[in-house]
Amino acid sequence: MTPALSISHLTKRYRRGTLAVNDLSLDVKPGDFFGFLGPNGAGKSTTINCITGIASPTSGTIEVFGVDTVKRYRDARRLIGMSPQEFNVDTFARVYDIIDWMGGYFGMKAAERHARVEMLIEKFDLVAHAKKQFRDLSGGLKRRVILARSLVHDPQLLILDEPTAGVDVELRRDLWRYLQELNKEGKTIFLTSHYLEEIEQLCQTIAIIYDGRIVRHGPKKEFVDEPGGLEAAYLRATGAEPDHAMVPA
Amino acid sequence: MKDGSAVADIGPVINWIGLWTIVRREWSRLMRVPVQAFIAPWISALLFIFIFGFVVGGRIALIGGHHYLEFVLPGILMLNIVNAAFLQSSSQIYFSRFLRYVEESLVSPLSYAEMIAGVLSVVIVRSVITAIGILIIASLFGVTHIQSVWEFLYWVVSVSVVFGLLGIIIGLWANNFEQLTILNVFFITPLSFVGGVFNTVSMLPKWMQWVAYANPFFYFINGLRHAMIGFTEGSEWLGVGVTLALAAVMSVTVWRLFSIGYGLRE
Repeated sequence: MTPALSISHLTKRYRRGTLAVNDLSLDVKPGDFFGFLGPNGAGKSTTINCITGIASPTSGTIEVFGVDTVKRYRDARRLIGMSPQEFNVDTFARVYDIIDWMGGYFGMKAAERHARVEMLIEKFDLVAHAKKQFRDLSGGLKRRVILARSLVHDPQLLILDEPTAGVDVELRRDLWRYLQELNKEGKTIFLTSHYLEEIEQLCQTIAIIYDGRIVRHGPKKEFVDEPGGLEAAYLRATGAEPDHAMVPA
Repeated sequence: MKDGSAVADIGPVINWIGLWTIVRREWSRLMRVPVQAFIAPWISALLFIFIFGFVVGGRIALIGGHHYLEFVLPGILMLNIVNAAFLQSSSQIYFSRFLRYVEESLVSPLSYAEMIAGVLSVVIVRSVITAIGILIIASLFGVTHIQSVWEFLYWVVSVSVVFGLLGIIIGLWANNFEQLTILNVFFITPLSFVGGVFNTVSMLPKWMQWVAYANPFFYFINGLRHAMIGFTEGSEWLGVGVTLALAAVMSVTVWRLFSIGYGLRE
C-alpha cells in the first residue's frame, strides 16, 4: 500500500550552515495517527516545513500518497493540511476571511468554499467570532481558527505542529475529540507535541527525532510497555537519563 | 486512500480562483488603509497642481504651446503612479513575510507565476485608481487632456509593472521598515524629480541635459506627457524600449528570487 507520507533520505541544511535534518527516512501508513516527538531544535518543525513547502529540502525526496512534493507540488499540496506551531496569519484579518482565503488559494469555488467555511466555523465553535479580527481572539480561539484553516480544503494528510500548545484543558480535550473523529473518518494525522500524554492518548505510531535523525520509530505499544512508559522511552532515545523514580526497580 | 497515480495531475492549469483570491485578499488589506493608499496621493497631487501649476504656473510662459499646468500634470501623475506601484508591492510582500502569512500561499497549490501575477494585478488596480483620482482633480482646474488613450494606458500599466516588480524585490530583501523605504528616499524620489516633472530638459544646464537623458524617469514622464498633451523632448519609442527592457530584466530577477525562495522559503 502506498504510504500516506514517505520521506526518503531528507537532509536540510540552512543557508547559515546549520544542519537541521540529517538523512531522515520515514513512512506513515494511510489512516495512521502518527506522533512525531523530539526536543526543541531536534528538527521536527524543519521536517514539517519541508513536507509542506515552507522550506526547500537540501536533498532527499518526500511523497504524499505517492505524489512527489517538489515535482508535483500542486497536486501534493492539495492533499496536505497544515496547522503550524506559530500563528502565521494576517492578524488584522477577520476569522471568516482567513479561512475563506485559504480555500480560495486551493482553488475551491465560492459556493463550495462558503459551505465548507461555515461548517468549520460551526464545528470549532467560532460562530460568535467569525467577524472579529484575529488579533482580538484569545489564544485558544486563535488555535481553533488555525486548525479550521488547515481543514478548509478537506486534506487527506493533516500535519499539526503542537496544535494544543498554550490552550486550556477543556479546549485541549475538545481538540483531541475532534482529531480522533477526523482520524476515524480516514484522515492521516501527523502530530508533533511536547505533551507526552497527548501522544499517548491519540497516536498509534510514534517516531522520535533527535539531532536531525530518527532515533526510534515503532508502534505506540512498544514505547508505553517499556519500564517507565513513554516518558522514559523518550528520555532514553534522546540521550537523557530517565529519573529513577520513573522506572520501577 | 489513494496512491499517486490516482491523484489527478492538475499540471500547468492556471489556478484562477487562487489568483483572484490574492487580489481579493490584498484589496481587503488596502481597504483598511484607504487614506494612506488613495486619499494621501490625491491630496498631495492637489497641492502640487494648485501650487506649481495654478499659482506659480500662472507666471510662467507657455511651454511648447501648453500652459505650465498642462505641462506639469503628466509629471505629477507619473510621480504618484510610481509611488503607488512601488509602495503597493513592497508593502504587500514585506508585511506578508513580517507577519508570516506568506506561508499560507507557500503551502497552497499556487505557482510562482500566479503569486507574482496576483501581486502585479493589485499594483495595476491601485495605480489606475490613483491616476483616475488625479485626473478628476486636474479636471477641476480644466487641464485633463488625453490625446491617445492607448498610449496613456501603456505608460500607466507598464510603469506600474516595472515599479511593482521593483517593489517585490525590495519587499523580499528588506528585513526591517527602514530598508523598505531606502530605495524610495534615495533613488525613486530624487530621480523622478530630476526626470522632468517640473521642467523641460532644455531648461537645464548643458552638462545636466545628458544626465536627464540617461535617467529612465525622463522617458516615463516624457511618454506620459506625449500621450496626454502631445509634447515630447525625446523618442517615445526609446522610452517604450526602456520600460520593456526594465520590465523584462526585473521579471527574470523576480522569477529567479521566487524560484530559489529568496526571502520566502527557508
